Amino acid sequence: MIAETGHYALVLALALALIQSLVPMIGAKLRDPALMNVARSTAVAQLLFVGASFVALVLVHVGSDFSVANVFENSHSQKPLLYKITGVWGNHEGSMLLWVAILALFGGLVAIFGSNLPLSLRAHVLAVQGWIATAFYLFILLTSNPFLRLAEVPVEGRDLNPILQDIGLAIHPPMLYLGYVGFSISFSFAVAALIEGRVDAAWARWVRPWTLMAWVFLTLGIAMGSYWAYYELGWGGWWFWDPVENASLMPWLAGTALLHSALVMEKRNALKIWTILLSILTFSLSLLGTFLVRSGVLTSVHAFATDPSRGVFILLILCLFIGGSLTLYAWRASSLKQGGLFAPISREGSLVLNNLFLTTACATVFVGTLYPLALEVLTGDKISVGAPFFNLTFGPLCVPLLLAMPFGPLLAWKRGDLLGAAQRLIAAGLLALFAVALLWAFVHGGSTLAPLAIGLAVFVIVGALVDLVERIALFRVPLGISWRRARGLPRAAWGTAFAHAGIGVALIGIVCESTWNSEYIATMKPNDSAMVGGYEFKLNGLSQRQGPNYREVFASFSVSQQGAVLGTLTPSKRSFATRGMSTSEAALMTRGVSQLYVSLGDLRADGAVAVRIYHKPWVLLIWYGPLLMAFGGLLSLSDRRLRVGAPKPAKAARALQAAE
Amino acid sequence: MTRKQRRLTMIGGAGVVLVIAAALVLNALRDSIVFFSTPQMVAEHPVPPGKRFRLGGVVETGSLQRGDKLAVSFVVADGSAKVPVSYQGILPDLFREGQGVVAEGALDAAGVFKADTVLAKHDETYMPREVADSLKKQGHWKDDYAKKPGAGSSANANAEPAAQGATQ
Amino acid sequence: MTLWFVFATMTIAAVFAVVWPLGRRGQPLREGNEVVVYKDQLAELERDAAVGLIGASEAEAAKVEIGRRLLAAAEAGQNAATMTGRTGLRRAVAILGLLGVPALSVAVYLQLGSPQIAGAPMSARPQTASAAEPIESLIAKVEAHLEKNPTDARGWNVLAPVLMRLRRYDDAARAYRNIITYGTDSAERRADLGEALTAAAGGVITADAKAEFERALALDANDAKARYFTGLAAEQDGRNADAAAIWRAMLDKAPEDAVWRPTVQAALARVSGGGQPALDANKDLSPAERNAMIQGMVERLATRLKQNGDDVEGWLRLLRAYMVLGERDKAQTALAEARQALAGNAERLKQLDAGLKSLGLDG
Repeated sequence: MIAETGHYALVLALALALIQSLVPMIGAKLRDPALMNVARSTAVAQLLFVGASFVALVLVHVGSDFSVANVFENSHSQKPLLYKITGVWGNHEGSMLLWVAILALFGGLVAIFGSNLPLSLRAHVLAVQGWIATAFYLFILLTSNPFLRLAEVPVEGRDLNPILQDIGLAIHPPMLYLGYVGFSISFSFAVAALIEGRVDAAWARWVRPWTLMAWVFLTLGIAMGSYWAYYELGWGGWWFWDPVENASLMPWLAGTALLHSALVMEKRNALKIWTILLSILTFSLSLLGTFLVRSGVLTSVHAFATDPSRGVFILLILCLFIGGSLTLYAWRASSLKQGGLFAPISREGSLVLNNLFLTTACATVFVGTLYPLALEVLTGDKISVGAPFFNLTFGPLCVPLLLAMPFGPLLAWKRGDLLGAAQRLIAAGLLALFAVALLWAFVHGGSTLAPLAIGLAVFVIVGALVDLVERIALFRVPLGISWRRARGLPRAAWGTAFAHAGIGVALIGIVCESTWNSEYIATMKPNDSAMVGGYEFKLNGLSQRQGPNYREVFASFSVSQQGAVLGTLTPSKRSFATRGMSTSEAALMTRGVSQLYVSLGDLRADGAVAVRIYHKPWVLLIWYGPLLMAFGGLLSLSDRRLRVGAPKPAKAARALQAAE
Repeated sequence: MTRKQRRLTMIGGAGVVLVIAAALVLNALRDSIVFFSTPQMVAEHPVPPGKRFRLGGVVETGSLQRGDKLAVSFVVADGSAKVPVSYQGILPDLFREGQGVVAEGALDAAGVFKADTVLAKHDETYMPREVADSLKKQGHWKDDYAKKPGAGSSANANAEPAAQGATQ
Repeated sequence: MTLWFVFATMTIAAVFAVVWPLGRRGQPLREGNEVVVYKDQLAELERDAAVGLIGASEAEAAKVEIGRRLLAAAEAGQNAATMTGRTGLRRAVAILGLLGVPALSVAVYLQLGSPQIAGAPMSARPQTASAAEPIESLIAKVEAHLEKNPTDARGWNVLAPVLMRLRRYDDAARAYRNIITYGTDSAERRADLGEALTAAAGGVITADAKAEFERALALDANDAKARYFTGLAAEQDGRNADAAAIWRAMLDKAPEDAVWRPTVQAALARVSGGGQPALDANKDLSPAERNAMIQGMVERLATRLKQNGDDVEGWLRLLRAYMVLGERDKAQTALAEARQALAGNAERLKQLDAGLKSLGLDG
């Protein structure tokens, strides 16, 4: 009953998406407001139906209704409730349903909050959303239907892959999808603009909040996925340059470029055509990511699908949308009015530089990810392009980008003063040099490049703060005035500073972790101890316990530093009976921003156990950085100036200030 | 600067960055890509000692030997050829005899593959795609390698043995 | 009945979403415009100028530029204010919504959905289970118990053969392993484990399985099951003579009433060359008679499947039998029938296709 209702709701959503793809287009052509408004009600109705469909799938998973094939294959009655829910999107079919649910959510949001959009633009945007939705509804219903039933109800399910039974999975995919799919909005806006043949500064302002929102979610999603890999895969790696990770990094790089170019378009009415192209490319890369992960072209923990018909279907969607939009672009872009020009040394110029480096970096990742696939198709040679490739290409391209980053916000629009900006950055540069000298003098071991990289990170962080300090004229005027200026500063300025500083913070974490990480791999017996990174780890013993759907062997280590006991760590190995699989659960202890990491390997017959112990200095900064970036993005998003078109509550705001 | 000059500056700058990026990519592609090989390919076209590559195949049953200090050695086979592998470290959770494996490293002078990485892909049916492809090509592919979690039904359908009567 | 009522309500809601905006006419349309954006930009510019982020002359120039755009936008807004309503087209869309949405949804849903299958959430299971399938719910209980007390060898002892019969071979293999680990290690259990592993591998005696049979024979050299499978392993390795030797030795020593006698005889007949009369096996059946018997079994299976076509494994067995008998045409016909009988069930079709791969009968 629940399953069939969900199934039917999905079918209805398909019918509505078809109407939404056609009717508003006709309406916009004929300038008929009623027909254009059909887009709005169908988008909202679609959201309701897909939402109902998703809720239905969650309910059958929670209720362990094994008459639904999807539940049977991915759930188990003994599984904890949380994983019954997260298991909904832990499999191919369910995750695709989540994908379209989020697509419908964004469509619905445009419909509900887009009352300030020009009517025909809204109609076009929603129609394009309808096209994407139609394609993906068909994909789900025809090749990946989560609501297929089994006539003979199995007694017990096959359980979810244990590696995916983790809280990280609860958060990572939805975040990532919110990011991926969020870029569909800027894509739809871009295609709508091409159809209408009209782009202006106002358009960029409407697009920017949506892009920013998608970017924030994607940032968090990638960071979350990286942290999940770090603690779940048992050997402390946090980024593998795995094609699946690259698939999420590429839209992020393109999206970051889009964010900045939209700024130029909004402020200076320039870079219009480039921004449109970036919008198309960003979403195309999101689709490509979906294709790479879902088609089974790649083998990895993410690739639930190995059915070739699905791959072909997604490839078709990919060609249709990327090919179609790029063709439309080639055809219509020249008809768009060219924007203004600007001097190379200016805020605009620096943003162009940013775009140049970001898109080039994105292109190198693209080459590294797709080259092996292309080569295999063309010559049959199987190669793998691993971390060294990306370190050699992506790394060098990031250096000039990061060096230039602090300059950008300090340059004025139209015509900037590079010398002035450099003077203001002297403090940041000196601090960076000081950091490098300090590291060279006192820290031994590791690459000689490491202190330089940290110096660059310090430059980026201090440079971001310099912008704020300049704006509020700290130390030049009385503190009270600075305070008032700080409060008067637009939140977007704070957001920029946080986001830029976040990059520096993450860079420090990355360099520290990869340079001064100490590791100890050996077999240990009870009462053995090991010294790692100045901490003593003593193995107290091994014991067993029973979890809800697994058995685990866990080891207890007491950790001490200079004789003082800090606590115990209990890494474990879990074995899941239903799938006959085992997973390692690492144990972590946080010391400031550094972490101690212990994971278990094989148990030996003589009672010894193989262990990996790591001391990872400053590792948490790797994820604090993106958190800071996302926080900056949210601050920017909350800036009233971005919510364009809404009547300005100027008086109300003033009244509030007076009351304070 | 005139409009044209500005545009030229922009295009010139972009061109320089793109050329640098292309140079980096080509350079990196020459130095850092790793080829995939199977024991049979190694037997047919010997790889010079010291050259890094990825070796994929099935861990031969009964070949796993553990030594001191986490040293392990095993044999990777693909039906017709075998390559001995030595490795020091912790094997991934899903490393099993009779299952697929991919190791990265280089051959030494004695023809032993010194692996520095044994890939830890996490899937209980883990059969690396490359290994599966090459086994299929050679006709060694059996369904018992290919039991996928989602396709357990196929295992069921095959479980009724053809002529052997294993279940009596 | 409730289900169809829910469907109808949902359909009406969907149709309403399409038709509703068409009915609203003459209302003032709220539409965003660019003027607000530019006003906003002007305010921001003044703020930047006040903080000193932009020079006075640049600020002035920017102000002029924004002002120009503002005027242009305001003008364009006045020009484009004319909107037309097309009653005819609206009616057409309304009809599309009224008829198209329900027609399309019902057509697609009937193709894909299975409204006849009732939901079976865990909470609703025990009541129905006790009546309809008491064994299965019993097994689930035993499994749940063993999940918590994995060392209960007696429990595994009960469960393992049942799992074998349910064709859950992987689980059965695990159960036998647990019996051996936590209970007693015996030749019989080892042989059972080997058998489960073999079944799980689709009848192929894997290296693991073979090792178990060898261990069984080490414990008891006369264990019939282990010996039979050792012979089978030899056959699968292509050593037919060895297989025949093993089986012949078994039959020589076997008591006349041993239940496994016919199986071994059949196997021996197979390796000794299908058509030739086996040495001492199948004494009482001539090749013609045996063929007739096999034919009869196949016919019976075919008839049963015609009546009840749901049984994927039955179909596969039938196809396999035809292939073994060399009747490829019949196999093709049966395959067509199987596809027809299973057409409504994608899951089973998938099972069928998966099974076909091992038969070499694709397409």
